[in-house]
Amino acid sequence: MSDYDVVIVGAGPAGAILAAELGAAGRSVLVLEAGPAAGRTWAEYRGNVEQFQATAAKVPNSPYVTSADAPFPTVLDITKLSPGGPPGDLGYFVQEGPLPFSSDYLRSTGGTTMHWLGTCLRMLPSDFDVRRRFGVGRDWPLDYDELMPFYERAEHELGVAGDVADQEYLGLRFAPGYVYPMHRIPPSYGDQRLAAALDGRPVHLDGEDVALRVTNTPQARNAVPNPAYDGGRGYQPVGAVGSPHTGLRCEGNASCIPICPVQAKYNALKTLHRAARGPVEIRTQAVVSRVVLTPDRRRVSALEYIAYDDGAAPRPPERVTADVYVLAANAIENAKLLLMSGAANGSGQVGRNLMDHPFMLCWAQMPESVGAFRGPSSTAGLEMLRDGPFRRRRAAFRGEIANWGWDFAAFAPYLDVEEAVHGRGLSGAALRTWLARRIPRQIRLGFLLEQLPSPDNRVTLDSRTDGLGLPRPRLRYDLDGYTRRGMAAARECASQVFALLGAADATAYLPSDPGYVTLDGSGYTYHGSGHVVGTHRMGDDPATSVVDRDQRSWDHENLYVVGAGSAPTIATSNPTLTLAALAFRSADAVLDDLGVA
Amino acid sequence: MSIDTPESLRAHLQTAIEIEWSTIPPYLCALWSIEDGGNQEAATCLQDVVMEEMLHLTQAANVLNALGGAPRLGAPGTVPDYPAALPHSDRSFQVSLLRFSQEALETFRRIEHPALIGAPPQPDRYTTIAQFYEAVSEAVERLGADRAIWSGDPARQVVPNSQYYGGGGDAIAVTGRHSALEALQLVIDEGEGFAGSVFDGDHEILGEAEELAHYFRFDELCRGRRYVRGDTPSSGPTGDPILLDYDAVAPMRANPRADDYPRGSELRAMTEECDATYARLLARLQTAFNGAPETLADAVRDMWALKYQAVALMRVPVSDTGETAGPAFAAPRR
Repeated sequence: MSDYDVVIVGAGPAGAILAAELGAAGRSVLVLEAGPAAGRTWAEYRGNVEQFQATAAKVPNSPYVTSADAPFPTVLDITKLSPGGPPGDLGYFVQEGPLPFSSDYLRSTGGTTMHWLGTCLRMLPSDFDVRRRFGVGRDWPLDYDELMPFYERAEHELGVAGDVADQEYLGLRFAPGYVYPMHRIPPSYGDQRLAAALDGRPVHLDGEDVALRVTNTPQARNAVPNPAYDGGRGYQPVGAVGSPHTGLRCEGNASCIPICPVQAKYNALKTLHRAARGPVEIRTQAVVSRVVLTPDRRRVSALEYIAYDDGAAPRPPERVTADVYVLAANAIENAKLLLMSGAANGSGQVGRNLMDHPFMLCWAQMPESVGAFRGPSSTAGLEMLRDGPFRRRRAAFRGEIANWGWDFAAFAPYLDVEEAVHGRGLSGAALRTWLARRIPRQIRLGFLLEQLPSPDNRVTLDSRTDGLGLPRPRLRYDLDGYTRRGMAAARECASQVFALLGAADATAYLPSDPGYVTLDGSGYTYHGSGHVVGTHRMGDDPATSVVDRDQRSWDHENLYVVGAGSAPTIATSNPTLTLAALAFRSADAVLDDLGVA
Repeated sequence: MSIDTPESLRAHLQTAIEIEWSTIPPYLCALWSIEDGGNQEAATCLQDVVMEEMLHLTQAANVLNALGGAPRLGAPGTVPDYPAALPHSDRSFQVSLLRFSQEALETFRRIEHPALIGAPPQPDRYTTIAQFYEAVSEAVERLGADRAIWSGDPARQVVPNSQYYGGGGDAIAVTGRHSALEALQLVIDEGEGFAGSVFDGDHEILGEAEELAHYFRFDELCRGRRYVRGDTPSSGPTGDPILLDYDAVAPMRANPRADDYPRGSELRAMTEECDATYARLLARLQTAFNGAPETLADAVRDMWALKYQAVALMRVPVSDTGETAGPAFAAPRR
């Protein structure tokens, strides 16, 4: 007799969706979360908001409590690595290089959705078979049409605002009559100005003209519900956990990353709250340290976890048993745990094919105000270069259009203020006038570059350990020529866009940037996107993949390994919507395994 | 105590709109004076109550519209200048615009006091707001049997799953007697109705209702202690203490007005701008409740602008004692 029907490791979006679906079906579930409880009550969540407000460096993880016992990476730890030098050792990751893996994630209830932006693009139909179409990357064991109903469930769970008519491009298709739960978030003033200047105008890339279009971004952010949703039944927006009247519409607080102060933006706390209506128990500060296998290694027999109190001596590991086990701990954490346990790695692929969207910023000064620094961080993008014949030779990309001026491209508006006060000696009305003239004219594009799976970009275990004595992840990471050629094309795209806008290009990449790379004598700088993908990929062949199309381990029949780590390729869409869709699919598979409750 | 004609019923619903609205500026002054992150119980209470008053106002407007009426909001005589007695009350006390304070809480408790609305009972005077709404409900039940009375254009209704959102449930579209009764019952159930029964005897404060009536929500803040199941009016609240910090509050002066400041001064301009935003908000609500409900989206923008302007005023010191300016909520002059 097992302790639970299912034990889930990780209380982020994938784990929360599985917990909610299994709990709703009457299954007993234990969720083990390595991090602390963050925001499970409204007072607790307000504590996170206050920490954000009090912090000087407002990086994505700044509102959240850190612990040496369940550490997580932060972008403040990223340093420039010297060729042939010692690995980067700052923070949680050990960075082998040659380039730094520049993304973070969060170990906490809610996972990284606590600080995500909420972008909910579906993958393109062509993204599922890039090997067959373009001879690169790897094909998925699923196609778009098979995933479509699960995308719909994910869009319901996350509460996506968007208009289908905006999204029907490059072969993206929707079920007949489908509408998103909520109408689109209104385009920002900047989006409208850019659309007026750019829509229908061409950029010339790869020897052909491509017509630009400023496309509204579907996003998990509360907006006006669409009464036509769900066959005319409509949709009820979900407010803040513990304060359900708060956050029923986006208020334009303009701090989506690192934290929405009203929870108008979806976070997985909302799904955990739904899960708690069923027989679902959530245990925080419980770090799973080992997946225990049966003697014949065909099944998982237990999980070992360490419960910790910060500052106290770690307790000995405890064991918990279930009929089915689900690892939903983020791609790097899933890989780390499997490697620590010697589990699920018959293919030798665990930890390999680590991917991110290298995020390249281009920025410029517009002739007139575009109203920078208002609304969500981004409400539109340039999507037409997500697919094309060029994918045979270079990376596809999407161009995010930012609403927050030059933000972290040039540390706006802080450095603008510093320049005005210290550089120009301005004060009073002159200072206000100067800033009001300069800052609202800032525009910034952020290109998310496709990265191909490579066995050499990988997670391994370092001998250095965290507060509980568990190994720290050691990362090897590089950008290949395919991605660098995509960066060159994106840079060229930005130059042409800025020319069409009459904007003064201010983009500058410095060899001292941690993410500085070169191609054909030109330099480009990437940042991380926070999209940690690909360490336990799915496939149809146990020899070359870690999990099957249901995200079940090929090696252990009662183990599922879920999340963005299962993605065979990263394509150009932000991964959360797709990982949520896959989580719904796996929930159905687990229920099938368990039989009639 | 009966409402005998459709005209009288419509007049009562207009009264309901005016009563609901008159409480909102005092609540907002207290809510917006609370510094971010402090006094969370009080802030949550005030925000919930304001949202419920807006929902009640919207329901009253929906019923009035269904009856072929035309809600009025912002026109002379429909909104007060503060300090003011509440409309249609017994005028026994004045309501001021105050920062969050013990005095403000005592005013709010009095506003929501079940016996506020004039005694003795007369045809147009009701002992409690609950009785007032019960009388309206009874009239709808009786007069509403005549279908011809429901002559309003359905396009004037504020419907659920629309631009309307907020606390305390969603708007109910009113098309006839049944939905009108449902809309009024929602108002009665949410706080007001509960208060009416408490003083009949020593009932438990927390019955089946999930939330305390407004009076008791303010009462527990006044007394600094939570009500728990089993408490009665004579026991008072016996639950956990509520810690209030009256220092974590912008020290807004009472009843600020634009003409407190010299002509041409920045403060006068800021206060007048805030008044103009308030007038625009009222005008848009008037439009929204008179055939263009989609205008609510613009009204929501005005609500945010009003908050930002009010909070900005509350940061400007105006006296040696450290008091600050604040929003005047001046009734629009036409």
